[in-house]
This record gives sequence, structure tokens and C-alpha cells, in this order.
Amino acid sequence: MKAIEIYCNFIKKNLDNPSFAKKLINLGIGVAEKYVSYFGDRKVLASHRYLNEICMKYMRESLYNPERSAWVNIFTPTEIFHAMGVFPLFIEAYSSFMSGFFIEDVLIDKAEAAGISNTLCSFHKAFIGAGEYGILQKPKMAVTTSIICDANLNTFRYLAKKYDIPFYIIDVPSKSSENAVEYVKDQLVEIIQMSEDVFSQKFDIDKLGEIVKIENKTNEYRRKYLSYLSTKVCHSIMSFEMFMLFTSHVFMGRPETLKYYQKLLQDIKNAPERSKKGIFFIHLVPMWEPSFQQYFNLGENYDILGSDLNYDFIGKIDTSDPLKGIAEKLIGTTYNGDFAKISSHITKIIDIVKPDGIIQFCHWGCKQSIGTANLYKNILKEKGIPFLIVDGDIMDKRNNQEGQINTRLEAFLEILESR
Amino acid sequence: MIGYVCKYAPAKVLEVFDKDAVRIDPKIRTDTAESLVHPNMCSFMKAVLEEVLENNIDELVLTNCCDSMRRLYDVLKGKLQFLYMLDLPVKVNNTSNKIFYDEICSLISAYERYSGKEFDMDKFTELLKNHKEKSLPDAELIAVFGARLRPDVIDNIQKRSNIKVQNLTCTATDKYIKLKNLEDQDPILHYAKTLLNSFPCMRMAEERPEFLKDIKIKGIIYNTIKFCDFYSYEYAALKNLDVPTLKIETDYTDTDSGQIKTRVDAFLESLGSRRITGVNKEGKYFAGVDSGSTSTNIVILDNNKNIVSYSIVPTGAMAIDSAKKAYEIALKRAGLEKEDIANVVSTGYGRVGIPFADKQVTEITCHGKGAFYFDKDIRTIIDIGGQDSKVIRLDNEGNVVDFVMNDKCSAGTGKFLEVMARTLEVPIDEMAEVITDSGENIKITSMCTVFAESEVISLIAQNKDKKDIIHALNKAVASKGVVLLDRVGRKGKYMMTGGVAKNKGVVSEIENKIEDKIRIPTEPQIIGALGAAILALGD
Repeated sequence: MKAIEIYCNFIKKNLDNPSFAKKLINLGIGVAEKYVSYFGDRKVLASHRYLNEICMKYMRESLYNPERSAWVNIFTPTEIFHAMGVFPLFIEAYSSFMSGFFIEDVLIDKAEAAGISNTLCSFHKAFIGAGEYGILQKPKMAVTTSIICDANLNTFRYLAKKYDIPFYIIDVPSKSSENAVEYVKDQLVEIIQMSEDVFSQKFDIDKLGEIVKIENKTNEYRRKYLSYLSTKVCHSIMSFEMFMLFTSHVFMGRPETLKYYQKLLQDIKNAPERSKKGIFFIHLVPMWEPSFQQYFNLGENYDILGSDLNYDFIGKIDTSDPLKGIAEKLIGTTYNGDFAKISSHITKIIDIVKPDGIIQFCHWGCKQSIGTANLYKNILKEKGIPFLIVDGDIMDKRNNQEGQINTRLEAFLEILESR
Repeated sequence: MIGYVCKYAPAKVLEVFDKDAVRIDPKIRTDTAESLVHPNMCSFMKAVLEEVLENNIDELVLTNCCDSMRRLYDVLKGKLQFLYMLDLPVKVNNTSNKIFYDEICSLISAYERYSGKEFDMDKFTELLKNHKEKSLPDAELIAVFGARLRPDVIDNIQKRSNIKVQNLTCTATDKYIKLKNLEDQDPILHYAKTLLNSFPCMRMAEERPEFLKDIKIKGIIYNTIKFCDFYSYEYAALKNLDVPTLKIETDYTDTDSGQIKTRVDAFLESLGSRRITGVNKEGKYFAGVDSGSTSTNIVILDNNKNIVSYSIVPTGAMAIDSAKKAYEIALKRAGLEKEDIANVVSTGYGRVGIPFADKQVTEITCHGKGAFYFDKDIRTIIDIGGQDSKVIRLDNEGNVVDFVMNDKCSAGTGKFLEVMARTLEVPIDEMAEVITDSGENIKITSMCTVFAESEVISLIAQNKDKKDIIHALNKAVASKGVVLLDRVGRKGKYMMTGGVAKNKGVVSEIENKIEDKIRIPTEPQIIGALGAAILALGD
């Protein structure tokens, strides 16, 4: 542990020397990948070890090959990039890794010093801070979506200008219609044209078809995995729930992702019956919070059954016209629309998973999510499921009051135990 | 009455149904919103929510312009008689024009169904044709950009400025749309296109700076709303331009607060555009009064700019009484009578209420003058006072060219240190010692005074060495100051003023961080009053 701390401090001290800091970050991720593939934690399931390994690989691919990479957000239809062999770097993951290196505080301060609002989501602030320090590798292009939060457009526009790279925003209408599908599909075509230009490579629509088929197969496994959760549980670590955002979104369609869900399905089939109270999370999982780690990691006391953000789309994409299919997926995504749409999908997932309690960790600056907290409270009250709202910051550890969070969490767990 | 919020809302369509269709401009603030939504939602959204509920507005048209507005719709759903969420594209092209057109048509159908009224197309066409088209002024102006500001606040800024102040915030630019030339057969399509093509707000994909080219801008006042993050990106980009820019952050309903006035006045002063109504009197001596939150300070100068006397008294509950007391002490020390003083300038938060002052100037300009008086090489002033902190950049003639101030909370100020000293049960002077022997490296993670206090209490409970805790607190205050400094940019020579400049521990931590020396005047608390006295002398 001490060696990691020293290494992280060394990165922090060298942020003013961006080319060296970049090398240190890359080396750190490269070494971590090797470490988890050879000495992965034996206490965790084989599927989770594999998840850890491929997430390191996905990060390494983009960081080591900036000339073949593109910045994306979590909802960018990266199927297009997978079909071209382009490595996406999603900004939420990059920031989480910087938090893993314990340098998120200085990155966030740097963004705020540049004039960025301190009330902005800290995932975005940390990424902007990395841009201000110049420690981000310059990719070939950046693509984001108007869903599911406000920060996407402006963070990408700001940094794309700063790094002088082509930038594309996919506008996803919130109401579905033929025009809306056409509108999104046209934009996907424009991205393909832009990517062909940027990467000097012809796009192969058949390859996209294959990617979408893998995605559909992956979703089949995910639906099956979900159906086991009401009775069985794979003891997990909170960071793995966050790692799952790689496989449920940006790296959907990659064969490694498919393999992960195959392994996960196998693991849950062989998993023990649920015996402890199981918790489902709304939005994000506070992976760095010691009080949460203490209760949830490896099912020591309570089990994490998942988080809704990992199940916003588990449907099937039309393979006869993959671009249209992807457009429909974007418009249909759970969070693209009003709360009625969100809650109807999430309550279906909750009904499948049957958690004993639900926690919404209200992440600093995330208006789209925290704005739903009171609404969830009402519907979960009707369903009779205990619900806890905790305020904090997934990324910026300085924004969390451990004592306060602990009291809330423990009181909630006492309520669960008394039921 | 139909209410709407956004400039992209089809106001003319709503006017056809109801001549009282009105854009909601919330003025009230209660606690209702925070019982319905999370407190960290955008302040404007919360204010609209309260305005709608308190004033029984039962028909409302929203646009899905941001996350907060989307959630406002969700919270109000089922509470109003008519509520419609208009899907607003982010891009402008033929398909998005069509989508927006369809949306407006769906809104019309929905309102027809709800009200039983039929949409009168002739009346609508008439409204478009009669639209009063406005153009932007040609003269040099101060542009107010960013998130929306109430019209009365703009009027107030105008009163303080000697040149035109133009409201170009997000909702104000709808005045400049051109509606008269109905190019398309369908007036609704024409209207949809015109709205979508109007000057883009920050949630749109279109570029904004083009708009700036046609305007002669002397300075920009840039408004951002707490928990509305769209506009800080543009501010971050704009502040690197050559145009002087002031950022203000408000929660929409407090836009006329004293703190905002201070910043605006200081900015106008730095541009030479502040309307000042002062009177110069004959006499030999000149006084400056700095009525701060913690202390009231007075400096008296003779007409050769020599300091004749000064006084520092704690500001009590009545700022005026403290000022009178400080004035009496300073006069007595100088051996002068009130009649000997030709001109008095007041500064600081209490500057408006000083009865014996001839004019008021902000503490930002005054600190600039005062620091420059001591040392002509000073380019950056770090002023950390009792309840606020600021960083001021001077040019080589001592004029203020840029400045930033902290938020309205007391994080990183003298008050923060005072509260912590009380918690630690040590005299404030002990907090001010330089701690070099490295004990345990403790980190205070929270800068909120209230949270940091509970953090310190837990550290005491863990039997941590008080010296290490003090060291950590001083480092925390220094960090906050350096973040503020970096918003202006680092440039020596530095001077630190305000009460916290007396805290050697904080000063040395800042020096470590910026790797430069900081000049501390012998009496750092009187710099503002000194600057005011220099201005009273007519410099």
C-alpha cells in the first residue's frame, strides 16, 4: 500500500511536467493491468477478476495509443469505434482512475482555478483539470451525446477547442418519433464520415453488424444474470460495480465484454443463495467511501445487488439496420426522458432483483440524478422498500464527511435489520 | 395565465391562447422548494418552483433545456392543470427544425384539448407581423453575459455606470429575433426556425462568439447561477480574451446583494465607467474609512500623502457606531478636529452607511491604491479579511485590472480561523505561528467552516497534536487563497493585506505554495482605509 501511495504522490508532484506525468500515469495503468492479470485478488470471483483485467486493458489501449483513440462519454455509441478498431477513452473512467491515483483534488482545483464552476460534477471537473495541466493524451477526435446530463456538451466542447481536435455532439431527442430516429441516424452517419476522415480508414458496415450481434448476445447474458439476482448473489466489491460501466456501456460489443458476462452468468449459477440483506444502488456506487466499503465489499455484512445505471438498456438492437437500431437504443435509453420513463424501467429491474433496501448516493453536481431523489422516495415508499438518500461525492474525497455518511448508513442498515 | 421560462418557449403561440402569457421571473424565495427537491439543484429552478406554487400558476410550458428543468417538470407533474415539456433540439438543421415544429404543433393540440379553445392562425400571423424588432446599440457598452439576471438588477447596474449597460444574458437576447419576414408558407414553421436560430444559449451546439463581433464591448459582467454550470465554461474561455471581465455568481433571487454591488462597482471603477457623485471640499487633511465585517479602520493623510494617524477598532453590532468611534480615535491621535478634514471616502461592506463620508468606493479599488502607495512593484494583492477574501491584480500604474472574490461563505477567511481557534481552545495568536517542525501530516479535507469544525473535533478526540491540527488548518486556508490567486494568475510582486496577513503560519504556507515571497505591510489591516484616504485626497 505504501508503495502505491509514494507513486501517487510522485505523480502529483510532477503534474507541472505534463509529459512526465503522462508517462507515470500510463506506467501505473500498465503495471496495474499486469498485476491484476497475474496476481488478481483470489478472494473475488473469476468473472470479477476478469472484469478488472479487461477494464485495465480498455484504459491502457486508449492511453497507449492516442493516435487511435477518441474521447467519449458513457452514452456515446462506441459500436462505431469498435467496428473501426478505435479505442475510446470515456471521461468518467479517466477521472475515476485519477481518483484511484489520489490526484483528483489537485485536478479539480486546477479546473476551478481556470474559472469552471465548483458546483459542476467532479468527474467533469477532474477531466477538465487534467486538460488544464496538459496531462491528457491528445486523441484524434471527441464525440459526446446530449444525454444524459448537461455537462457533456460543454466539457467536450471546451477541451476539444483547447486540444484543437474535431468534436461531434449527438443530439438525442427525448421524445421518440420517426423524425427523431432519422435525426439521430443522420448524425451517426456524420460521425462515421468524420471518423473515416480522421483515422484515414474506410468504415465497414458489416463489421458494425457483427459488433451489434455481440452486443445483443451480451444483453441476453445480462438479462439471464439479472433473473438470478433475486435468489443468488455474487459477492462483489464496490469498484467492480463501477467497472461494470465499462462493460454495460462504452465497451459493449467487444468480445471481451461478452466473455465477461458469460463468466458472470456461470459464477452466479454456482453462487450461494442470498442470505444477507441485499442493497441496490440508484445512480452510482460510492466506491471510495470507507463506511460503504466496510459494509459492502465482498459481501462481508451486506450484498451489493447492482446499480441501475448498469441496466438502463438491456434490450435488443435491430441488426437489419444497425445504425437505425443504435439510434433507437439512444432515444430509448432509460434516462433520456422524464421520470415516468425512468421509474417505469427501474421499478421493473427492482421487481426482478428484489432488493431489501435501496440507496441513492446523491453525487455532487449531478442534477439529473439528485433531482430524482425525492421522486424515488415516493414510489419506493409505495412499494414498501426502505430507501436511503446520502449526499456526497463519488470522486472528490474532500467533499465527503465520513462521520455523517457513516451515521446515515448505519441507521439505515439498522432499519433493514429490524425488518 | 400561462407561464413559461425559457427564451426558446413559443411565447407568441401561447399569447394567441392567452394574452397574459408571461415569462416567469421569480422574485420570492421560501423553503418550499427544498422540501420537494434536493437542495443542490439549480437555484433558478428552485425559485421557479416556489413562484409557481406560491402564486398558483396552474398552466406552465417548460423546455427540456437542462437537467434542472427536466426535473422541475417531474416535480410539478400532477400538481398543475396544464403542464407541457417541449423537446428542444440542441442542434440547428433541417431535421431539428422539423422536430421543433412538430413539438410546437403538439403543444398547440395539447392546449386546444385542455382548454377547449381553438388556435387562431390569423391572430398568430398578426402577432408575428407586429413583432417589434430591436437592434443592438452601436455605441461602446458594458455587456452583461451569461445566465439570466432580473431586469431590475440590470437597471441597477445601469444606474451605477456612465456608459450603456446591455443585457445579453440567456433570456434577454430574444428581443433581437427577427420575425416579420414570413419566408415559409407555414407561420408556425417560420416561427420554429426563427426561435431555434436565435442567438444560442450554452446548452446549444451552435457557436456563440460570433455574436460578440458586432458589439463594441468595453467590459463584460459575466453572471453564473449557483448549481447551473453551463456558463462557467464560457467564462473560463472568455477570461483569456483582452476584454476586462467580471464574474458574478448569484442564486438568482439575491442578485442585488451588497456583495454583488461591491464587485460591480469595483469593476466599473477599474474601467473608469463608474458614475460617481462626490464633492471635494477645501482643507488640509483627508480620511479613509474601511468599515469591514470584523474591524473598522481609519487612516488620515495630509495633503502630501503622509499618514498622520490611523485607528483600528472592532466592528460591533452597529457599524456606524464603530466608524464614529474609530474616527474620533484617529482624529485625537492626529490632534485634529472634524473640521480639519476636507474629504472622507468610505469603503468596505459598511461603506454606504457611514454618515460623515463624502463618497463611497469599493475596497477593491482602495486596496489597490493602498498597496501601490507602499510599494510600486506590487502586482498582486492577496487580501484575506474577516469574512471574505480576494485577489487583486494591479497594472504598473497601480490600477486594478482584474480581481476575484471568494463565495459568500466564510471558508478560508479570518472567521474560519477564529472558529477553529475557539474549537481548539487556543488564543488566535497561537494559530498564527509558523510551524516548521514536521509532526504528523494531517489534512483538513473540508473547507466549509461548519464541517471543518466537526472534523477538528474528531481530530481532538483522536488525541492529535494541536500543533499539527493548526498546521493543517493554516495549510487549508493557504490552499483556498492560492486557488483564488490562480483564477487571476500568478504575478509578483505580492502583497498580503487584511487581518489574516498577520497570521505568519498562513503567509508562510502560501509562500511555500507559490514559491515566492509576499510583502506584508507593517499594519496590513489599514491598507483599504489608506487607499480610501488617497482617493479622498483626489488621487
